[in-house]
Amino acid sequence: MFNCKKCDNPGNIILRKKDLYCTECFKTNINHKFRACIGKNKILAKNENVLICLSGGQCSTVLLDLIKNGISLDNHKKLWITPVFFHLMGMRKESDDELIANALIKQCNHYDFNLYIGHISEYLLKNNNVQEINTLPQENNTLINKFNDLLSSMSVSSRNDFLSKVHRDMYVHFAKLLQCKYIFSGETLGTLASNLLTNLTIGRGSQVQYDVGFCDNRNEVRILRPMKDISQEEIDQYIQINQLSPASCISNNQENCLQTIIKNFVTDLQENYQATISTVCKTADKIGVGMKQCKKCKVCESDIGENSNKLSALEATNYSSSVSVGQQQLTSDSENFAHAMFPYINQSLCYTCSKMFSEMDDSNDVNLKQILLNK
Amino acid sequence: MPISCRTGCGRNAVLKRPKTGDALCKECFYWAFEAEIHYTITKGELFNRGDSVAIAASGGKDSTVLAHVLKTLNQRHDYGLNLMLLSIDEGITGYRDDSLETVKQNRDDYEMPLKILSYKDLYGWTMDEIVAQIGRKNNCTFCGVFRRQALDRGAALLNVKCIATGHNADDIAETVLMNVLRGDIARLKRCTAISTGSEGTIPRVKPLKYTYEKEIVMYAHYKKLVYFSTECVFAPNAYRGHARALLKDMEKIRPSCIMDIIYSGETMAVKEEVTLPTQGICVRCKFVSSQEVCKACVLLEGLNKGLPRLGVGKSSKAKKMLAEYNAKQEQEKGSLEQAIIDLDDSSNLIDDINQSNKVTKAKSCRSGSCKSNNKVSNGSTVNNDKCSSKECCTGKCKSNQGNDIDQGNSKINSLLEEYGINDAQKDIPNGNGHGSNVSKSNGEIVENSDEDGEVLFNDQDEENSCAGACGKMGSLQIGF
Ligand SMILES: [Zn+2]
Ligand SMILES: [Zn+2]
Ligand SMILES: [Zn+2]
Ligand SMILES: [Zn+2]
Repeated sequence: MFNCKKCDNPGNIILRKKDLYCTECFKTNINHKFRACIGKNKILAKNENVLICLSGGQCSTVLLDLIKNGISLDNHKKLWITPVFFHLMGMRKESDDELIANALIKQCNHYDFNLYIGHISEYLLKNNNVQEINTLPQENNTLINKFNDLLSSMSVSSRNDFLSKVHRDMYVHFAKLLQCKYIFSGETLGTLASNLLTNLTIGRGSQVQYDVGFCDNRNEVRILRPMKDISQEEIDQYIQINQLSPASCISNNQENCLQTIIKNFVTDLQENYQATISTVCKTADKIGVGMKQCKKCKVCESDIGENSNKLSALEATNYSSSVSVGQQQLTSDSENFAHAMFPYINQSLCYTCSKMFSEMDDSNDVNLKQILLNK
Repeated sequence: MPISCRTGCGRNAVLKRPKTGDALCKECFYWAFEAEIHYTITKGELFNRGDSVAIAASGGKDSTVLAHVLKTLNQRHDYGLNLMLLSIDEGITGYRDDSLETVKQNRDDYEMPLKILSYKDLYGWTMDEIVAQIGRKNNCTFCGVFRRQALDRGAALLNVKCIATGHNADDIAETVLMNVLRGDIARLKRCTAISTGSEGTIPRVKPLKYTYEKEIVMYAHYKKLVYFSTECVFAPNAYRGHARALLKDMEKIRPSCIMDIIYSGETMAVKEEVTLPTQGICVRCKFVSSQEVCKACVLLEGLNKGLPRLGVGKSSKAKKMLAEYNAKQEQEKGSLEQAIIDLDDSSNLIDDINQSNKVTKAKSCRSGSCKSNNKVSNGSTVNNDKCSSKECCTGKCKSNQGNDIDQGNSKINSLLEEYGINDAQKDIPNGNGHGSNVSKSNGEIVENSDEDGEVLFNDQDEENSCAGACGKMGSLQIGF
């Protein structure tokens, strides 16, 4: 009764409240999920440089361990990649930020790896310098302040969304600098379920394949998510049995925003309806890109869709906003509303990035939006 | 200090629009509200001049406002539509009486012809008769299946060009989330379409697709439209309940998320390699079905042959049909099975949903059908495996289902508190048969939740509109 589901040895790990595994089988299973994801997609060449993005959190800790194990193997199962480890600073308060970065350097060194570190504010002024390995980047306070001003002009929900796009962009930027054509990012099942719901909720439904799927191919640098089938429960167990200590134990703050509501919602599902999480992610796998090949959004690199005359929530929102301020006391065939609600839409920005832009206030420095648009 | 209307009309604002946040006077609110629906109708090309259009009328707020606005716009912009009201009567003693009275009031107020079609007209059986045949165990199956097709059958009888339903923006956004949660990719793709209907069927259109529920309630309130609201509502099925709770929480933070979710649904596509079940028509009745013979026809055959339980009966043909149907069901459900079991079996779930929405207390139902239902529940013949029968469609007046909606007048009151400006107080309904309430004959005020009778049509395309506790119906591909 108390034996491992797979091998009949005594089990000690319970998953999904019912499946019992022994430590060995559990580890094998996690490894298998990780490798199957990479293997089945067969896109990596032998000894390919891969930028491994580490946040310092639980998932990143497991990712690091899985890679170490994979490349240390000496048999046919060896993971044939050349990992380049990277961490992006600037997401937390300064003191925490440095603490985490230093802990992460230690963690990597412990595995005999080196770590490159960048700062998120460099988004505004991309230079081609790469910091020396295992050192914190020098702070450019003017830049950081500019960046923070930009962020603070937005609603928390939009800011979080924007930051995720900035992250992505910076990963790609550093991947190029470090000669990597691929990136591994550590999102797990639950994170991806949250991201799917978030995408839907902010109007990025057509971008689900990129943001939630295994491979984000919007850029020539591909972002892969080899942890996508691993659940939070498995992450917890893996950390425990391998006695790993994540560099960052600081829990994310519970800001009042869409992402927090969705995250709590998913956490609740995770605890009580694990199967629903898998269902949500399987749904994501079936969602494709709705738009034909066309212009790319300057911020998120998604297809922006064509200027269509068809009625959609975009037109309806535009109509609402003009009708509500007394413009357009006309009939329905007035087509040419000033796209005040949606700057640069269909030209340089997608629906959601455009909405985000309308929230940004760069009155302190009029160039910021232009910098983004001219990227 | 009075706030002046955002449009610059010179009047004082009385409300803040839930959708845009703009402060408007009553007249400008009406105008904006109607103009948006007009925009949706014309830009979405929902109707053609000369069309006969059946408005699916339940007596609830959505269909009442829809009828009112369509009537207004048809005159104002000379659509040249021949509008009529279509209601369905399941034939459950006492259940529809009040809402049908309201529909009749709509008919008189808007001077539109009204056709009430009963299950008897459409299928040859009333629900009461079906219950007599089948007992209460499985009647929710019948009611749900029949309801889904009733509008199509009714519209065919009326010979109309299309059916207009009262789905609002909230309903649609909620459905998008729900379909993601239950992994229903086919419906996810369909559910944001403004107009649905395959070859050879009567299309359904949603003129209120971009209209916020809160604004519908406020419009009905300020216009003093008469609509029917019961406190008795279907328990939403577990997925819908989850989706609804999530949406309400998110709307508080970012009202535009409703439109954003709809936009997501409109612009996302299903991967080419994913094969969706094709939506065809039933070879017998010619109404929309994903099976060769639709479920309604299967059930009817059982009833008509005196084999209401079908699979239990001796007819090999019926057995075969059932077997095929079941196989298909199983196949469609696939991996969802476990999820459904998890969700259905969890008695915590509804509690959770309710709790998160701060339902204060359960109210007892005052309508007749509820009593009979309670009797059954007490008679303990309830088959909880399939459908906790107190949540079943005939038991929609489930007395202890608080649901997730603010009860009673507090709905409009809390809306006014949040969005009303200045003199809003004066407008609080007093429940005298005007405003948002309808007095019942015994003088009791029917308290409204915003679910009201609308479930009749809003759920028609859903898992079954049968309380949804029967997750088993969840994967039928009808409607949406
Ligand atoms: Zn084992
Ligand atoms: Zn974008
Ligand atoms: Zn005004
Ligand atoms: Zn049929």
